[in-house]
Amino acid sequence: MKVSTKGRYGLRAMIEIASRSGSGHVPLALVAERQGISGNYLEQVVALLRKGGFIRSVKGAHGGYRLTRPAREIRVGDLLRVLEGSLSVMDGDDPAMAREAAGQDDAVRRAIRAQVWERIDRSVAGVVDAITLEDLVEEARKKGDPGALHYEI
Amino acid sequence: MKISTKGRYALEALLDMALQDTAGYVALNGVGVRRGLSENYLEQIFSDLRRSGLVQSLRGQQGGYRLARDPSRITAGEILRAVEGPLVPVACVADGPGSGASADAARNRKACCPRIDRCVTRGVWIRVTDAMERAADGVTLADLLAETRANLAAASEGASI
Repeated sequence: MKVSTKGRYGLRAMIEIASRSGSGHVPLALVAERQGISGNYLEQVVALLRKGGFIRSVKGAHGGYRLTRPAREIRVGDLLRVLEGSLSVMDGDDPAMAREAAGQDDAVRRAIRAQVWERIDRSVAGVVDAITLEDLVEEARKKGDPGALHYEI
Repeated sequence: MKISTKGRYALEALLDMALQDTAGYVALNGVGVRRGLSENYLEQIFSDLRRSGLVQSLRGQQGGYRLARDPSRITAGEILRAVEGPLVPVACVADGPGSGASADAARNRKACCPRIDRCVTRGVWIRVTDAMERAADGVTLADLLAETRANLAAASEGASI
Protein backbone atom coordinates (compact mmCIF):
# COMPACT_ATOMS: atom_id res chain seq x y z
CA MET A 1 0.00 0.00 0.00
CA LYS A 2 2.39 2.62 -1.16
CA VAL A 3 1.95 6.31 -1.85
CA SER A 4 3.88 7.15 -5.01
CA THR A 5 6.59 9.79 -5.31
CA LYS A 6 3.99 11.99 -7.04
CA GLY A 7 1.90 11.98 -3.88
CA ARG A 8 4.85 12.54 -1.58
CA TYR A 9 6.56 15.27 -3.60
CA GLY A 10 3.28 16.88 -4.56
CA LEU A 11 2.33 17.32 -0.92
CA ARG A 12 5.73 18.77 -0.07
CA ALA A 13 5.57 21.14 -3.04
CA MET A 14 2.13 22.35 -1.94
CA ILE A 15 3.42 23.05 1.58
CA GLU A 16 6.27 25.02 0.05
CA ILE A 17 3.99 27.06 -2.22
CA ALA A 18 1.43 27.60 0.54
CA SER A 19 4.09 28.70 3.04
CA ARG A 20 5.18 31.52 0.77
CA SER A 21 1.94 32.42 -0.96
CA GLY A 22 1.59 35.42 1.31
CA SER A 23 4.78 36.97 -0.02
CA GLY A 24 4.03 36.35 -3.70
CA HIS A 25 4.71 33.62 -6.17
CA VAL A 26 7.04 30.71 -5.63
CA PRO A 27 9.31 29.80 -8.52
CA LEU A 28 9.47 26.13 -9.36
CA ALA A 29 13.25 26.14 -9.18
CA LEU A 30 13.08 27.26 -5.56
CA VAL A 31 10.65 24.49 -4.63
CA ALA A 32 12.87 21.94 -6.36
CA GLU A 33 15.98 23.14 -4.58
CA ARG A 34 14.47 23.41 -1.12
CA GLN A 35 12.67 20.09 -1.31
CA GLY A 36 15.47 18.22 -3.05
CA ILE A 37 13.31 17.19 -5.99
CA SER A 38 14.46 17.16 -9.62
CA GLY A 39 13.07 20.10 -11.58
CA ASN A 40 11.85 17.87 -14.40
CA TYR A 41 9.90 15.56 -12.14
CA LEU A 42 8.50 18.49 -10.19
CA GLU A 43 7.11 19.94 -13.42
CA GLN A 44 5.04 16.78 -13.94
CA VAL A 45 3.77 16.93 -10.38
CA VAL A 46 2.97 20.62 -10.62
CA ALA A 47 1.06 20.05 -13.87
CA LEU A 48 -1.23 17.66 -12.00
CA LEU A 49 -1.74 20.17 -9.19
CA ARG A 50 -2.51 22.91 -11.67
CA LYS A 51 -5.02 20.72 -13.53
CA GLY A 52 -6.51 19.85 -10.18
CA GLY A 53 -7.18 23.54 -9.64
CA PHE A 54 -5.04 23.96 -6.54
CA ILE A 55 -2.37 26.27 -7.93
CA ARG A 56 -1.98 28.62 -10.84
CA SER A 57 1.09 29.85 -12.56
CA VAL A 58 2.10 33.44 -12.93
CA LYS A 59 4.30 34.21 -15.91
CA GLY A 60 7.13 36.64 -16.14
CA ALA A 61 10.53 37.29 -14.66
CA HIS A 62 9.19 37.19 -11.12
CA GLY A 63 6.68 34.48 -11.87
CA GLY A 64 6.02 31.17 -10.22
CA TYR A 65 3.10 29.47 -8.58
CA ARG A 66 0.55 30.41 -6.02
CA LEU A 67 -2.51 28.86 -4.43
CA THR A 68 -5.91 29.38 -6.03
CA ARG A 69 -7.62 29.54 -2.66
CA PRO A 70 -6.69 29.75 1.04
CA ALA A 71 -4.67 26.83 2.40
CA ARG A 72 -7.35 26.11 4.98
CA GLU A 73 -9.77 25.33 2.13
CA ILE A 74 -7.51 22.68 0.60
CA ARG A 75 -7.80 19.22 2.12
CA VAL A 76 -4.86 16.85 2.02
CA GLY A 77 -7.30 14.17 0.84
CA ASP A 78 -8.20 16.17 -2.26
CA LEU A 79 -4.53 16.75 -3.06
CA LEU A 80 -3.75 13.05 -2.75
CA ARG A 81 -6.73 12.04 -4.89
CA VAL A 82 -5.46 14.23 -7.69
CA LEU A 83 -1.80 13.22 -7.28
CA GLU A 84 -2.45 9.50 -6.84
CA GLY A 85 -5.53 9.12 -9.01
CA SER A 86 -7.39 7.44 -6.21
CA LEU A 87 -7.06 6.93 -2.48
CA SER A 88 -8.54 3.46 -2.57
CA VAL A 89 -6.57 0.36 -1.61
CA MET A 90 -8.43 -1.35 -4.45
CA ASP A 91 -6.61 -1.27 -7.77
CA GLY A 92 -8.97 -0.19 -10.51
CA ASP A 93 -6.55 -1.36 -13.19
CA ASP A 94 -6.49 -4.92 -11.93
CA PRO A 95 -9.03 -7.01 -13.90
CA ALA A 96 -9.90 -9.07 -10.81
CA MET A 97 -10.68 -5.89 -8.89
CA ALA A 98 -12.71 -4.56 -11.80
CA ARG A 99 -14.83 -7.71 -11.75
CA GLU A 100 -15.36 -7.28 -8.03
CA ALA A 101 -16.35 -3.66 -8.48
CA ALA A 102 -18.83 -4.67 -11.20
CA GLY A 103 -20.48 -6.97 -8.68
CA GLN A 104 -19.64 -10.06 -10.68
CA ASP A 105 -17.99 -11.74 -7.84
CA ASP A 106 -18.48 -14.41 -5.29
CA ALA A 107 -19.52 -14.31 -1.67
CA VAL A 108 -15.95 -14.48 -0.36
CA ARG A 109 -14.57 -11.56 -2.36
CA ARG A 110 -17.64 -9.46 -1.74
CA ALA A 111 -17.32 -9.99 2.00
CA ILE A 112 -13.66 -8.98 1.95
CA ARG A 113 -14.38 -5.92 -0.15
CA ALA A 114 -17.19 -4.72 2.08
CA GLN A 115 -15.56 -5.49 5.42
CA VAL A 116 -11.89 -4.83 4.72
CA TRP A 117 -11.12 -2.71 1.66
CA GLU A 118 -14.04 -0.32 1.91
CA ARG A 119 -13.50 -0.03 5.65
CA ILE A 120 -9.84 0.86 5.16
CA ASP A 121 -10.77 3.36 2.43
CA ARG A 122 -13.29 5.10 4.69
CA SER A 123 -10.81 5.21 7.55
CA VAL A 124 -8.07 6.71 5.39
CA ALA A 125 -10.43 9.26 3.82
CA GLY A 126 -11.60 10.28 7.30
CA VAL A 127 -8.03 11.07 8.29
CA VAL A 128 -6.74 12.84 5.18
CA ASP A 129 -9.93 14.83 4.69
CA ALA A 130 -9.58 16.21 8.21
CA ILE A 131 -6.12 17.65 7.54
CA THR A 132 -5.84 20.89 5.59
CA LEU A 133 -2.87 22.39 3.84
CA GLU A 134 -2.96 25.13 6.46
CA ASP A 135 -2.43 22.53 9.19
CA LEU A 136 0.71 21.36 7.43
CA VAL A 137 2.00 24.90 6.86
CA GLU A 138 1.48 25.58 10.57
CA GLU A 139 3.41 22.46 11.47
CA ALA A 140 6.24 23.41 9.12
CA ARG A 141 6.44 26.76 10.86
CA LYS A 142 6.58 25.09 14.25
CA LYS A 143 9.50 22.98 13.10
CA GLY A 144 11.40 26.18 12.53
CA ASP A 145 11.49 28.76 9.81
CA PRO A 146 11.28 26.78 6.55
CA GLY A 147 13.78 29.17 5.09
CA ALA A 148 16.45 28.30 7.63
CA LEU A 149 16.24 24.55 8.02
CA HIS A 150 16.07 23.11 4.56
CA TYR A 151 19.69 23.36 3.68
CA GLU A 152 21.99 20.44 4.46
CA ILE A 153 25.01 21.56 6.43
CA MET B 1 -2.01 2.87 -1.85
CA LYS B 2 -2.92 -0.43 -3.44
CA ILE B 3 -3.13 -3.74 -1.62
CA SER B 4 -0.89 -6.35 -3.17
CA THR B 5 -2.29 -9.58 -4.64
CA LYS B 6 -0.47 -11.40 -1.84
CA GLY B 7 -2.57 -9.62 0.77
CA ARG B 8 -5.80 -10.19 -1.13
CA TYR B 9 -5.12 -13.87 -1.74
CA ALA B 10 -4.11 -14.42 1.89
CA LEU B 11 -7.48 -13.11 3.06
CA GLU B 12 -9.39 -15.14 0.48
CA ALA B 13 -7.49 -18.32 1.24
CA LEU B 14 -7.94 -18.09 5.00
CA LEU B 15 -11.59 -17.26 4.62
CA ASP B 16 -11.99 -20.25 2.32
CA MET B 17 -10.26 -22.47 4.87
CA ALA B 18 -12.48 -21.21 7.67
CA LEU B 19 -15.54 -21.86 5.49
CA GLN B 20 -14.64 -25.54 5.24
CA ASP B 21 -15.80 -25.65 8.84
CA THR B 22 -13.50 -28.46 9.84
CA ALA B 23 -11.22 -28.91 12.81
CA GLY B 24 -8.88 -30.83 10.54
CA TYR B 25 -6.20 -29.74 8.12
CA VAL B 26 -7.17 -28.30 4.76
CA ALA B 27 -5.05 -29.04 1.70
CA LEU B 28 -3.75 -26.05 -0.25
CA ASN B 29 -4.60 -27.51 -3.63
CA GLY B 30 -8.25 -27.59 -2.57
CA VAL B 31 -8.06 -23.92 -1.63
CA GLY B 32 -6.36 -23.22 -4.93
CA VAL B 33 -9.05 -24.95 -6.95
CA ARG B 34 -11.93 -23.32 -5.07
CA ARG B 35 -10.47 -19.84 -5.23
CA GLY B 36 -8.84 -20.08 -8.64
CA LEU B 37 -5.44 -19.36 -7.11
CA SER B 38 -2.03 -20.77 -7.96
CA GLU B 39 -0.92 -23.43 -5.52
CA ASN B 40 2.67 -22.22 -5.74
CA TYR B 41 1.68 -18.75 -4.67
CA LEU B 42 -0.43 -20.19 -1.88
CA GLU B 43 2.58 -22.13 -0.60
CA GLN B 44 4.51 -18.87 -0.25
CA ILE B 45 1.60 -17.14 1.42
CA PHE B 46 0.99 -19.96 3.88
CA SER B 47 4.65 -20.13 4.68
CA ASP B 48 4.42 -16.47 5.82
CA LEU B 49 1.21 -17.17 7.71
CA ARG B 50 2.78 -20.10 9.52
CA ARG B 51 5.83 -18.06 10.48
CA SER B 52 3.51 -15.45 11.96
CA GLY B 53 1.70 -18.08 13.98
CA LEU B 54 -1.65 -17.71 12.23
CA VAL B 55 -1.77 -21.25 10.84
CA GLN B 56 -0.35 -24.65 11.69
CA SER B 57 0.80 -27.16 9.13
CA LEU B 58 0.84 -30.90 8.89
CA ARG B 59 2.77 -32.84 6.27
CA GLY B 60 1.57 -35.96 4.52
CA GLN B 61 -1.54 -37.39 2.96
CA GLN B 62 -4.08 -35.96 5.39
CA GLY B 63 -1.96 -32.88 5.78
CA GLY B 64 -2.34 -29.25 4.92
CA TYR B 65 -2.98 -26.21 7.04
CA ARG B 66 -5.39 -25.14 9.72
CA LEU B 67 -6.01 -21.97 11.67
CA ALA B 68 -3.85 -21.68 14.78
CA ARG B 69 -6.63 -20.00 16.73
CA ASP B 70 -10.32 -19.22 16.59
CA PRO B 71 -11.39 -17.00 13.65
CA SER B 72 -12.73 -14.47 16.16
CA ARG B 73 -9.16 -13.97 17.35
CA ILE B 74 -7.53 -13.37 13.98
CA THR B 75 -7.88 -9.90 12.47
CA ALA B 76 -7.61 -8.91 8.82
CA GLY B 77 -4.75 -6.62 9.89
CA GLU B 78 -2.76 -9.53 11.28
CA ILE B 79 -3.25 -11.51 8.08
CA LEU B 80 -2.17 -8.60 5.89
CA ARG B 81 0.87 -7.82 8.06
CA ALA B 82 1.93 -11.46 8.02
CA VAL B 83 2.26 -11.47 4.22
CA GLU B 84 2.91 -7.84 3.39
CA GLY B 85 4.81 -6.52 6.37
CA PRO B 86 3.73 -3.28 8.09
CA LEU B 87 0.80 -1.52 6.45
CA VAL B 88 2.74 1.66 5.70
CA PRO B 89 2.10 3.97 2.75
CA VAL B 90 5.67 5.30 2.84
CA ALA B 91 8.78 3.40 3.97
CA CYS B 92 10.00 5.99 6.49
CA VAL B 93 6.98 5.40 8.73
CA ALA B 94 8.41 2.02 9.68
CA ASP B 95 11.61 3.66 10.98
CA GLY B 96 12.21 6.27 13.63
CA PRO B 97 9.73 7.95 16.01
CA GLY B 98 6.27 6.49 16.37
CA SER B 99 7.32 3.11 15.09
CA GLY B 100 8.48 1.63 18.38
CA ALA B 101 11.87 1.22 16.73
CA SER B 102 15.12 0.53 18.56
CA ALA B 103 18.24 2.71 18.70
CA ASP B 104 19.60 0.70 15.78
CA ALA B 105 16.58 1.58 13.73
CA ALA B 106 16.93 5.20 14.79
CA ARG B 107 20.42 5.19 13.31
CA ASN B 108 19.18 3.45 10.19
CA ARG B 109 16.40 5.91 9.64
CA LYS B 110 18.82 8.56 8.46
CA ALA B 111 19.67 6.24 5.60
CA CYS B 112 15.98 5.95 4.80
CA CYS B 113 15.54 9.67 4.30
CA PRO B 114 17.79 12.56 5.34
CA ARG B 115 14.78 14.80 5.93
CA ILE B 116 13.14 12.58 8.50
CA ASP B 117 13.71 14.83 11.51
CA ARG B 118 12.09 17.90 9.99
CA CYS B 119 9.61 16.29 7.64
CA VAL B 120 6.08 17.56 7.98
CA THR B 121 4.41 15.14 5.59
CA ARG B 122 5.67 12.12 7.51
CA GLY B 123 3.09 13.01 10.14
CA VAL B 124 0.39 12.61 7.51
CA TRP B 125 1.71 9.17 6.56
CA ILE B 126 1.83 8.09 10.20
CA ARG B 127 -1.81 9.05 10.64
CA VAL B 128 -2.74 7.24 7.43
CA THR B 129 -0.94 4.14 8.70
CA ASP B 130 -2.86 4.30 11.99
CA ALA B 131 -6.13 4.67 10.09
CA MET B 132 -5.38 1.61 7.93
CA GLU B 133 -4.23 -0.49 10.88
CA ARG B 134 -7.26 0.48 12.98
CA ALA B 135 -9.64 -0.38 10.17
CA ALA B 136 -7.97 -3.68 9.29
CA ASP B 137 -7.68 -4.71 12.95
CA GLY B 138 -11.33 -3.92 13.50
CA VAL B 139 -12.38 -6.89 11.38
CA THR B 140 -11.86 -10.50 12.35
CA LEU B 141 -11.95 -13.64 10.27
CA ALA B 142 -15.16 -14.47 12.16
CA ASP B 143 -16.75 -11.23 10.91
CA LEU B 144 -15.74 -12.11 7.36
CA LEU B 145 -17.08 -15.64 7.80
CA ALA B 146 -20.45 -14.33 8.96
CA GLU B 147 -20.69 -11.92 6.04
CA THR B 148 -19.69 -14.58 3.52
CA ARG B 149 -22.32 -16.97 4.86
CA ALA B 150 -24.91 -14.20 4.70
CA ASN B 151 -23.91 -13.55 1.08
CA LEU B 152 -24.20 -17.25 0.26
CA ALA B 153 -27.62 -17.49 1.91
CA ALA B 154 -28.88 -14.42 0.05
CA ALA B 155 -27.59 -15.83 -3.23
CA SER B 156 -29.31 -19.19 -2.78
CA GLU B 157 -32.58 -17.48 -1.85
CA GLY B 158 -32.36 -15.44 -4.99
CA ALA B 159 -31.62 -18.52 -7.08
CA SER B 160 -34.59 -20.47 -5.84
CA ILE B 161 -37.14 -17.84 -6.94
